[in-house]
Amino acid sequence: MNFELERASYGVDGTPILTDISLAVGAGEVVTVIGPSGAGKSTLLRLAALFERPTDGAVRCDGTEPWSLPRGDRLALRRRIGVVFQQASLFETSVARNVDAGRRIRRPWSSRLRGFAERLTARWIHGSPTVDDRTLEALELVGLRDEWDRDAASLSGGEAQRVSFARALAPRPELLVLDEPTSDLDPRNTAILERAIGRARDRDHGVLLATHDMHQAERISDRVAFLLDGELVEIGPPERVFEEPRDERTARFVRGDLLYDENELLV
Amino acid sequence: MPIDALSDPTYLRSVIRLSLTVSLLAVLLSTAVSLPIAFAVGFADFRGKRFVTAVINTGMGFPSVVVGLLVWYALSNRGPLGTLNLIYTPEAMIISQLVLATPVITGVALSAVESVDDAVRDAAYGIGGTRADVALITLKEARYGVITGILAGFGRAISEVGSVLIVGGNIAYADGTSKTRTLTTAIQFEVRKGEFETALILGAVLLVLVLLVNGVVLRLGGR
Repeated sequence: MNFELERASYGVDGTPILTDISLAVGAGEVVTVIGPSGAGKSTLLRLAALFERPTDGAVRCDGTEPWSLPRGDRLALRRRIGVVFQQASLFETSVARNVDAGRRIRRPWSSRLRGFAERLTARWIHGSPTVDDRTLEALELVGLRDEWDRDAASLSGGEAQRVSFARALAPRPELLVLDEPTSDLDPRNTAILERAIGRARDRDHGVLLATHDMHQAERISDRVAFLLDGELVEIGPPERVFEEPRDERTARFVRGDLLYDENELLV
Repeated sequence: MPIDALSDPTYLRSVIRLSLTVSLLAVLLSTAVSLPIAFAVGFADFRGKRFVTAVINTGMGFPSVVVGLLVWYALSNRGPLGTLNLIYTPEAMIISQLVLATPVITGVALSAVESVDDAVRDAAYGIGGTRADVALITLKEARYGVITGILAGFGRAISEVGSVLIVGGNIAYADGTSKTRTLTTAIQFEVRKGEFETALILGAVLLVLVLLVNGVVLRLGGR
C-alpha cells in the first residue's frame, strides 16, 4: 500500500495538535517519526491508522481518500493496516486466540458462530485447543511459536508486546502502524521486535513507527521524520537527519539540547 | 382441603417450576434490556452521563413493595394496561421481577464495561474491528462482571416476595398445583400457617436452586 498524509491537520475543540503534515510511506519502507513527548506522534499515527479523521487536508491509501468512502469501504481499507500500541493490551484469552483475533473478525458471522460452537465443543468434550499455521507463522516471527497455548495473562511485558505485534501482523496488513512499541521493553525484547519489523519490511509491509529512541530510528529506518509541536520539521534518510540536520531544532533535538521545562515550554 | 407442601410432590414441583420459570424469564428479558443500556452508557460520552448512572444505581435499591404496587396499579383493571388481563398471573410476576432486576444487571454490567481499559477497545478497533466487534470484545473482557450482574439480578428476582405477592396473589389451584405461588411466597404462606419446619425446608430448596443456577452460569462463563 502507498500511504500518504497530504497537508493533514488535526485539532480538538479548536486547539491544533498537528499542522500541515505531509508524509508518505511506501511498500517495504520503514518511516520513523521521532520527537519529544507531546509533539503529536501518537495523534499522527492515529490519523495513519484511520482512527481519527484529519480536520483539514487528506489521508490517501493507494490514492484513495478513505474518509470520503462509505463506512464499509473504509473498513476494508482500515483492515489493510495493522496497529501496535505502546501498551500490549492483549485480550483475556490464549496467545493463539489473541493472534488469531484479527483474522477471526474478518470472517462472516455464520462462520464465527460455527467457530464459537466448535470451540465450546472442543473445550467441554475434547478439552484440547487447536492452532492453525497462519497463527504459528506470526508467532514464529516474534519468537513465540511454542507459546501459542499459554494464557496471555501469564506473559511477561516483553512477551505480551511481541504477541501484540504478531496479532497485528497475522491478517497480513500492507501497512504497520507502530506507536512506540518498544518503549517499555528490555534490550532483548526490543531486538526481537526490531528484527520482526525488519522481516515485515522484507515482506513488503510498509511501516510507520513512532519512537523517541533515536538509536532505534537510526538502526531500522529508511527515512526519519522529526515532529515538533505538531509540525513536521524535517524528513529524510536517518544518516542525513542525524548527521547533517537541515533545521536547527532537529540539530538541537539530536544533540539532546532540545528540552522541555516543567511548564512544557521550549527552552 | 389444605395442602401439605412436603407430602405432595406435584405441589412442590409446580412451585419450583413456577419459581424458576418466572425468575429465569425475567432475568433473560432483563439481560436483553440491561446489556444494551450498559453498553450505550458505558461507551458514550455525553452530558448527563453521571446523572443517568446515578439513576441506574438508585434503581438497584428500589423497594420491591413499591415496584409491586406500581406494577399492580399498571396491570389492574383501572390501570393503563388493565385490558391485558395480566394481574394475578405469572406474566405479572415476570414484569415485576423484570423491573426489579433490570437496574441491578444494568448497574453491575455498566461498572464492568467501564472498567475495561480504553486501550483494549483501541486494540479491538486496531485489529480491524467494527463497532459491533469492539462491543463484543469489550463484553468478553467484562464477562465476569456482566455474569456477576446477571447472577445478582437472578438473586434479586428469585428471592423476591413483596412485589410477586402483590401482583401474583400467591394463588394455588384446587388440585394443589401452583398458579402464582413461588417458593418465596410459599415460605411466607407456611410461616403464616405456623408450619416453620416446612418453611425451612422450602427455604433450603430455594437455596439449592440458587446455588445450582449460579454454578451453571459460572461454568458457562468459563469460571
